[in-house]
Amino acid sequence: MTLFHISIFSAAAILFSVLAKGRWRNWLMLAGSVLAIYWVQSVTPIRYLDFWLPTATLALVGVVWALSWAGGDEKPDQRETLITAAVLIGLVLIVGLLRYAGPLCCLTPSRPPQIWIVGIGLTLIAGLVFGVERGLTGKRWAVIGTIIGLLGLLIVLKTEPLTEFASAGIRSLMGQSVEQASAFDIRWLGFSYVAFRLVHVLLDWINGRLPAVSLQEFVIYVVFFPAFTAGPIDRVDRFVRDLRAEYTFTPTDLYEGGQRIVIGILKKFVLADGLALLALSGQNALQVESTGWLWVMLYAYAFRLYLDFSGYTDVAIGVGRLMGITLPENFERPYLKTNLTTFWNSWHMTLAQWFRAYWFNPVSRRMRTAKKWPVWAIILFGQITTMVMIGLWHGVTWNYAIWGAWHGLGLFVHNRWLNVMRARLRKLDERPALKKAYNVLCVVFTFHFVLLGWIWFALPTVDMAGAVFAKLFGM
Amino acid sequence: MSDEIGAKLKDYLKSEILHDESYPMADDEPLISSGLIDSFSLVDIALFVEETFGVRIDDNELTADNFDTVAELVKHIEANQ
Repeated sequence: MTLFHISIFSAAAILFSVLAKGRWRNWLMLAGSVLAIYWVQSVTPIRYLDFWLPTATLALVGVVWALSWAGGDEKPDQRETLITAAVLIGLVLIVGLLRYAGPLCCLTPSRPPQIWIVGIGLTLIAGLVFGVERGLTGKRWAVIGTIIGLLGLLIVLKTEPLTEFASAGIRSLMGQSVEQASAFDIRWLGFSYVAFRLVHVLLDWINGRLPAVSLQEFVIYVVFFPAFTAGPIDRVDRFVRDLRAEYTFTPTDLYEGGQRIVIGILKKFVLADGLALLALSGQNALQVESTGWLWVMLYAYAFRLYLDFSGYTDVAIGVGRLMGITLPENFERPYLKTNLTTFWNSWHMTLAQWFRAYWFNPVSRRMRTAKKWPVWAIILFGQITTMVMIGLWHGVTWNYAIWGAWHGLGLFVHNRWLNVMRARLRKLDERPALKKAYNVLCVVFTFHFVLLGWIWFALPTVDMAGAVFAKLFGM
Repeated sequence: MSDEIGAKLKDYLKSEILHDESYPMADDEPLISSGLIDSFSLVDIALFVEETFGVRIDDNELTADNFDTVAELVKHIEANQ
């Protein structure tokens, strides 16, 4: 998202807070979010793809909703479902029709397909969603198949050779040069977050925990524009609670929401973008001669990353606040934590919670109940696999996997250390000055462990990361 | 009732998780968000609660948001017994 996007989103949210009354609130939120996902989609060299990717997002949302039938035993209101479907189709048609709007063209970064092609696409999608709703709603195998499909799609989009292969396929379908296929052709904005929201919904359906949610509420939850591109990953039950609550906009909301947006903009566009000039990257890592300067670049990277990501989160939370939605926090002063466990309770919190809820907790519970493995082995397995998956969520590369393993191992070592030292460390309570010094030391140590981990995250290859490690430690 | 549940929970946390019987644990002391107890121990606590009180805590409920203190755990157990 650019500063322009954020300014328009903030203005739209303020306008929304003034105009949105009663039942119009959800319809405005739906329309705004659907139009926004076309607007923020980045341009792609494959013809019409920047129109079809957001459309595919909406199709997936429709399929998942139809599959889970919004979870509960309550049948959704058929009239409202049809109106929502009609509104969605109408909105996509408007985006498509902007092709013919002369100077108003277009909401998408490039010209959308001709309207009859859009019409055929929408008919196919509507047929698919209707077919799923008639024949597959509540079918466990179909839900599991969709989860596998969504994760498979995510893996394709996160693995460069696979994305390139997919790009070649789409290019050949569109009659474009296959030789020029590249992994950067398919930049499906927001998909990592959309996929995780959809998988969460389907897993909660399997566990019998999914509340009844209308199609309208469900679409808003998945594509809610403030959180669409950079999270946080909210839970559907929590989000819908806010959506259903009576919306009363107060000057406090305006002040606190506005303040959060301004802080976010400053963090992202002033501090993070300023630090980006210094920060370690694949382009500058091997050109630096001085070890001291390399450390400066690494520190700059660590703070740029935090300010960039948490700045976006601030904007999302601020805009959400103006619209009566309290999005969950994603960061809570992570670089000031005294150990790695609390760091991961405060860094990209909603992603870490997602993996805890759907991987770490069930796997650890199953292994503990089986009583076949020693405790340390279960902790090691749970932490390493969880953190490697969190790493791979950012992209399927060796460096992201190593970054995950770095943190998984760190969490395991911290767990074992605490297990042995906890009682002894408590004696520090009797000596407050010493305890304070110990805590400062812990913050410095934890920060530097995280800092060195960022080398894997920032650089594209293992060799380059190894060379930077060697240089930092004078080897 | 809640005192009894709270006492059992505290005994378990001190002896099995913290390995420190003399730890002065308060009902409203943050356990997870403070880093005193990590996410793995939360799974162990869920298993203990299930075995001792017959209340299952779902995997996606096992977060500091829901169970950061003994008081929150007691409330959940009482509500689901």
